[in-house]
Amino acid sequence: MLNRYRVLDLTSERGLLCAQILGDLGADVIKVEPPGGSPARRLGPFYQDRPDPDTSLVWWAYNRNKRSITLDITTDEGRDILRRLVKSAHFFIESDMPGTLAELGLGYPELAADNPGLIYVSITPFGQNGPKASYADSDLVILAAGGPLILTGDDDRPPVRVSVPQAYPHASAAAAAAAMIALYESLRSGQGQYIDISAQQAVAQATQSTLLAAPLGDADSQRMSGGAKLGDIPIRLIWPARDGHVAISYLFGSAIAHFTQRLMNWICEEGFCDEATRDKDWVGYGAYLFSGSQEAIDDYIGLTELLERFTITKTKTELLEGALERGLLIAPITTTEEVVHSPQLAARDYWQTLEHPELRQSFGYPGPFAKFSTCPISYRRRPPTVGEHNTEIYLDELGLSRQRLADLTTRRIIA
Amino acid sequence: MTHTDALAGVKILDFMWAIAGPASTRILADYGATVVRVETTTRFDAVRTVGPFHGGKPGLENAGMFYNMNAGKLPITLDLAKPAAREVVLDLVRWADVVAESFSPKTMQAWGFDYASLRQLKPDIIMLSTCLMGQTGPRSRFAGFGNLAAAISGFFHPTGWPDRPPAGPFGAYTDYIAPWYNATAIMAALTHKHHTGEGQHIDLSQAEAALQFLGPALLDYTANGRIQGPAGNRDRNFAPHGVYPTRGHDRWIAIVAENDQHWQALCTVMGRPELANDARFATRTARLDSQDELDSLIADWTRQHDMLEAEAHLQAQRIPASALRSVRDLYDDPQLQQRQHFVDLSHPKHGTTTVEGSRFKFSRTPARVEGAAPTLGRENAYVLETILGYSQERITELVAAGVLE
Repeated sequence: MLNRYRVLDLTSERGLLCAQILGDLGADVIKVEPPGGSPARRLGPFYQDRPDPDTSLVWWAYNRNKRSITLDITTDEGRDILRRLVKSAHFFIESDMPGTLAELGLGYPELAADNPGLIYVSITPFGQNGPKASYADSDLVILAAGGPLILTGDDDRPPVRVSVPQAYPHASAAAAAAAMIALYESLRSGQGQYIDISAQQAVAQATQSTLLAAPLGDADSQRMSGGAKLGDIPIRLIWPARDGHVAISYLFGSAIAHFTQRLMNWICEEGFCDEATRDKDWVGYGAYLFSGSQEAIDDYIGLTELLERFTITKTKTELLEGALERGLLIAPITTTEEVVHSPQLAARDYWQTLEHPELRQSFGYPGPFAKFSTCPISYRRRPPTVGEHNTEIYLDELGLSRQRLADLTTRRIIA
Repeated sequence: MTHTDALAGVKILDFMWAIAGPASTRILADYGATVVRVETTTRFDAVRTVGPFHGGKPGLENAGMFYNMNAGKLPITLDLAKPAAREVVLDLVRWADVVAESFSPKTMQAWGFDYASLRQLKPDIIMLSTCLMGQTGPRSRFAGFGNLAAAISGFFHPTGWPDRPPAGPFGAYTDYIAPWYNATAIMAALTHKHHTGEGQHIDLSQAEAALQFLGPALLDYTANGRIQGPAGNRDRNFAPHGVYPTRGHDRWIAIVAENDQHWQALCTVMGRPELANDARFATRTARLDSQDELDSLIADWTRQHDMLEAEAHLQAQRIPASALRSVRDLYDDPQLQQRQHFVDLSHPKHGTTTVEGSRFKFSRTPARVEGAAPTLGRENAYVLETILGYSQERITELVAAGVLE
């Protein structure tokens, strides 16, 4: 869909997913790496646990459908070459701290002067302005600053993160959506613009609107073992099964009551509760519970315990099969191994195989983020090795002479 | 403001509900798309029953999340079981560039609003169907919210402590990932249509989109056969990497040293300069091997400090650190305030409601989050008169037939 568009991806390990999304959609993505390769290539885990710039699985996860060149943009010559590339680009994606690229003469005003249609996207921890704009960060720090972390984990332990970094995937995917909105606008105006993405604001989405409690005048939300406290209400999400755990949306109100009724029917059929408990007013129960009275909370906790007595007698598979048959809101808690072997993902041909000729091996990659009927996402390129496309891009496309390329390589401006 | 909105003229018919779907079209509404949001009063949107609520009081028109997901949209309430409602929907399809829906597969088909049918009516229509597992496959009818999609997609297992049952990420987690992809997919399809005139159908499985965020762990399994499990707050690349207690009840600070400079600066801030030369902690590898000791000596320092003061001391030395404000206290976060993250909107019942602003800043065509938050049915007349050009008689008939309920 984006075949006619070119993306320059200047991002460090923060921001790689943005250009990958555009690449998945067909754009020609050129990953511009510092000499020696992107810092993301130093992040484990590594294939066979052998640290090497070309075996980082973090690199693999976020750089398919890109070509790689190396370039030292801190040198005058490197900067000039980058500015030549910018003339043919539609998107410029970067994730340096605010002001860093401007100091190198690569800020938005300079590049827009060369290419007024350019969409210039900056992905930073806290955005370009404000008291924390220059704060040092990491995945954990952004999750702390944006709200999701304090809501996650057991209440008798420190808040805990998803141990696979999430903050920059959020910021980067947000950046892709923003870039696409700007592209569509430029079809009309012929002009690009500057887009400022704050990772803190992106991850704040994962607080489920609870950070509106203060202006609306509601109670704070807190983490809770097996769920979370929304305001004062302990909403349980996780139940034990015979062989692991399941997540259940045990919720109420007109949109959900029929699911809860069917679950209660099953529990009652198997003799775990009486008919009066089965046939509570599940539509009205939500308002009753969220009224926050102690009686309501105690009643709800009683129900969650009843549900536990039921779930613990079943396996994860039995609960999932029951959910599919009866139309219930139950999911098994799965490992990556179970995800990779999911019959659903197999039936949808989700996993994509990419060949890594440099390793004489092929690997299964997570598949397309969506199925488009007219122009399906294709995995055209495995993640590039360091500077794999230097010759192709510098000589064939940019028209540098062999001699010049050799000279720049010797001086480690391209290396 | 004088700019023309980025998406001025883009017309979206929105059958989305709950979080992931409406959050996606909210992004497009912020940038000027006209979004007509269909709601049915026979089954109110689930987010109307979940807090936070205005004044802490549950109520269909008190739920802040509903307004946060739907600000700037034009609501219409329709009883889709009634034949006359079907005619209204088909008129809206004729009007729209994009139809977006987040029901279980086959729901739209049952109403005759599936892509094959809508395409007959409007060949270049773009339709986005998003549900938990996708439109096809043995588990396509697997129903639920993003907490279930997160559980079945492997997000819960690596979230928590090795000696405990899984904690899982907060809330309907994949509902916060899917909107980025839904909005991107719609914009890509609109761009394609601009160039080729072609519409299309997009089948976006919330689980499949979310799995992009587990890429390194999935590859660790497919390439190395290793299952990544719960690791508390530890990281395979950096140490120290943790959440440490500070003064006060349930007050915490996240601190990370990604390199030797961070570690040495941390030793100075903690008043323990001798640790900077301690061989046990001198290199990244050494620190990764000594995490229990590191965590305990850092906690000894953090316990003596207020979390905000500690954050300021650490950040003054460029050490990655952040206090964990409660979500309620985040309203006062100076950074979010400076970024105008919270936006007040006028509201017919409450006077004012507060939503989150756009999460991006555009230099030339900034977001406008100004539209009154939709309330039940109050703007039916606007959609019917202004968008569909219905006569007053026709509207009266629809009201009499109970279609707008």
